[in-house]
Amino acid sequence: MTDIQAHTKKSSRWWDKKDVRQTAILTVVLTPIIGYLASEVQVRLMGPPASQVMKTTENLMYIFTWAAAPVMAIVFAIAIVSLSGKLHYGDNPPPEADHAIRNSSKTNIVWVTLSAILCLFAVVGGMVVLQHDNESILDDAAVDINVTGQQWVWNYDYPDTEGVRSQELHLVVNKPVVFHVTAIDVKHSFWIVEMGVKVDANPGAITEVAVNPNKLGVFNVRCAELCGLLHSYMQNKVYVQTQADYDKWLSTQPRRDYPGNPFPQENGDMKTQDATEQKGGNA
Amino acid sequence: MSTTKRKPLIERLNVFTAFFFGALFAIVSWRLALTYLPMDGEHAPLFTREDKITLISMISWFVGFMFGIGALIGPFRWVAGKDLTHEENMYYAGKDMGLKRYFRYTTDHKVVGIQYLVITMIIFGIAGILAMLIRSNLGSPEGGLINPQAYNSIVGTHGILMIVGAIIMVTGPFGNYIMPIMIGARDMAFPRLNALSFWLIVAAAVPLIWGQFIGGISTGWTAYNPLAGQSPLGMNGYIMYICIFALSTMVAGANITTTVIKMRAKGMTWNRTPIFIHGVVASVALALPAFPTFFLSQVMSGMDRALGTNFYNPQGGGSGWLYEHLFWLMGHPEVYVILIPAVAALMEMAPVFTRRPLYSFTVAVVGIAGIAGLSVLVWAHHMYMSGWAPLLNAPFMLTTELISIPTGMLFLVLVGTIWRGRVWATMPMLSIYALLWNFLIGGVTGIYLSDVPADASFHGSMYVTAHFHYTLMGAGLTGAIASLVYWFPKMTGRMFDKKLSWIGFWLVQIGFNVTFMGMFAVGLAGQPRRVSVFDEMFNFGNQIATGGAYVIMAGMLVFLAGVIHSWKHGQVAPMNPWHAKTIEWTVPNPVPLENFETLPEVHDDPYSYGKQKESV
Repeated sequence: MTDIQAHTKKSSRWWDKKDVRQTAILTVVLTPIIGYLASEVQVRLMGPPASQVMKTTENLMYIFTWAAAPVMAIVFAIAIVSLSGKLHYGDNPPPEADHAIRNSSKTNIVWVTLSAILCLFAVVGGMVVLQHDNESILDDAAVDINVTGQQWVWNYDYPDTEGVRSQELHLVVNKPVVFHVTAIDVKHSFWIVEMGVKVDANPGAITEVAVNPNKLGVFNVRCAELCGLLHSYMQNKVYVQTQADYDKWLSTQPRRDYPGNPFPQENGDMKTQDATEQKGGNA
Repeated sequence: MSTTKRKPLIERLNVFTAFFFGALFAIVSWRLALTYLPMDGEHAPLFTREDKITLISMISWFVGFMFGIGALIGPFRWVAGKDLTHEENMYYAGKDMGLKRYFRYTTDHKVVGIQYLVITMIIFGIAGILAMLIRSNLGSPEGGLINPQAYNSIVGTHGILMIVGAIIMVTGPFGNYIMPIMIGARDMAFPRLNALSFWLIVAAAVPLIWGQFIGGISTGWTAYNPLAGQSPLGMNGYIMYICIFALSTMVAGANITTTVIKMRAKGMTWNRTPIFIHGVVASVALALPAFPTFFLSQVMSGMDRALGTNFYNPQGGGSGWLYEHLFWLMGHPEVYVILIPAVAALMEMAPVFTRRPLYSFTVAVVGIAGIAGLSVLVWAHHMYMSGWAPLLNAPFMLTTELISIPTGMLFLVLVGTIWRGRVWATMPMLSIYALLWNFLIGGVTGIYLSDVPADASFHGSMYVTAHFHYTLMGAGLTGAIASLVYWFPKMTGRMFDKKLSWIGFWLVQIGFNVTFMGMFAVGLAGQPRRVSVFDEMFNFGNQIATGGAYVIMAGMLVFLAGVIHSWKHGQVAPMNPWHAKTIEWTVPNPVPLENFETLPEVHDDPYSYGKQKESV
């Protein structure tokens, strides 16, 4: 932020002003510290990504954090500099300032332009990734899995397998998959934490989300929408396996009488038995 | 019309008769409904009859309460062609009545302001206790302190109480007490509506408490359908609470907006109107279109439960997405209803405590207007993951991130004002720094959340919870508490105890940052919101958050002690303790009934501190 006096007096340059100099130095020092700490800490906490989607999300976190870092740094720098002067305690006000700047059009224009650029940068970055995510849902080569939420479990149907239904999710590594998600009672939200994908499970509608699991291991599905009494317990494991292990698991699973209907006849009345118990027990 | 022996009706009604008639109406209609309502048919959804009975009783409570408090006298007299006389109006205004006027349908804006202040503190107190119960339950992975049904209800009640408390925390006490004096008016434009808006909040509280005893609000504060449709009878308490509160907000919004537009002092052009007033008007004007949709969403929710309609029931052709839209059409403007007046109040204080003019009044007004305007276009960012229309995620991402530009303007105004100022270290001044810190963190995390791909990781997780606490509490509540300390001398005639305000400030700010940093961490690692138990891996972060929450509680108790102590024994305040230049500091303590002997005239804006320079 430039100071007015620097412009009015030709002899004085902006770095001759102590406050300006301090603010500039602090901004330069704080920017990398904030950018590094905020992005590293956050991405580490998010854990190692188990899909390209999650990897991209973590990259977005780096980009946004580094874009926001200079803004945070300059605000903190100005705050610190203003506090580093002599603070005035006591019951009467300090003397009035002699730098009574009411406005500075230059500063306003610079500030608004910069924030607009940063904002559009974030929007464009997000849209590029979003476009890619949307396209992956249309992937014909992907495996389809039907996900049905109900209070308080997830059911996974594998349409290519003539009637296998499980309550733990099994995926093949590096094989793209599209989830077709619905619910039979209330709204749930299907979230594979380490893969960074999420979509709500709505009763009466099917939503879709796609992912390509690229890491072997055991991961977590958690319900991300409050869905009643045992919402906290509505979670299960995701096993990302090699094709051989997956086939082995599949062969041990019972086939149900399941004529290719992705959403079996379970959608009864809204206030079904579960609801009755919950309501009756507490009314 | 009144005989010499009997007191007229207007003098007999107060809060006690209100509770009496409310309870009487509720019991009578409950008994009648129980006897005469037909039994449900075989195919009716469960508990429809019980829902009807509950809602009828609650509506009767509401009517009885409003009758008992005296809200209906004015309209009835007007319809009968015998409007109130001057003496009766002065009686309504609480002339020479002492403490009793705080328990009546009093129209004086100063009384309403104090009433709002007290009820805000009560709401925060209750909701704060609930927050402590939540955090205590999350002190260990297996929870277990509270059973899941009660836990869900506590989470929902904490949420809705805090939201309501936060909506009224600045525009209620300070918008009513300070604002009319600040613009040089004798009272609000519609004094009776002012009293109405307050007593509606009291009337609303009872159904919410009542609901706690008939199953609670187990849906979170958002009360999404169809979950709300299968929830116990307590849901009706939520529905009534929201409907009555929405009425109160609409009434207050119309009143405050009219007052500011029509009753500013002579010479107070919009350019000379203090920035706090701009903030308050933006906030309540934003509430005007927002709260009718909230009202409507709950009316439809109640009809689904009690009358067998299918607005939100997918089995009957309805849609939960409809509810989400109606809810968030209110829900997103509402966060700015909370935030804008709090930030504007701190903008009002910044020049006073740095002895410099407010930096760029124009940018401040444009920023406030920009936020208010954009905030009605962003609601569907709460629904990125709902799947209602994936193709519309991109445009909503654009509008959401555009809000960062006017928000940045508010930052510019604040840092521009403290830039090279000589800082008067008072608790309100410290709050400006706290706001800069908290609101930057809340704002930047908001950028991640507004981005659809990143939101796929964070939506519905503790990260969101931490984010909105940083904005609503870290920025909003910080501004509200600073406002209390700043305007305390005018409202009570005594200074807020300095030591207690500083201790409270540091405890709350440190505890707050510890709590919600811990919550950010577990959110990043993947802990969903509103859970009563969690994985072992989230234990550390949750314990930190719980520890921090106890520090916040300690700080809040210090503030409470500060309010009580200062109100009773505080140092008697001079007329203008901060040497500020807005009009409210030119009236004596205690403020006389009609504020001014002669109405003031305004010749300049209130920020002419320091040696003036031409703007560049």
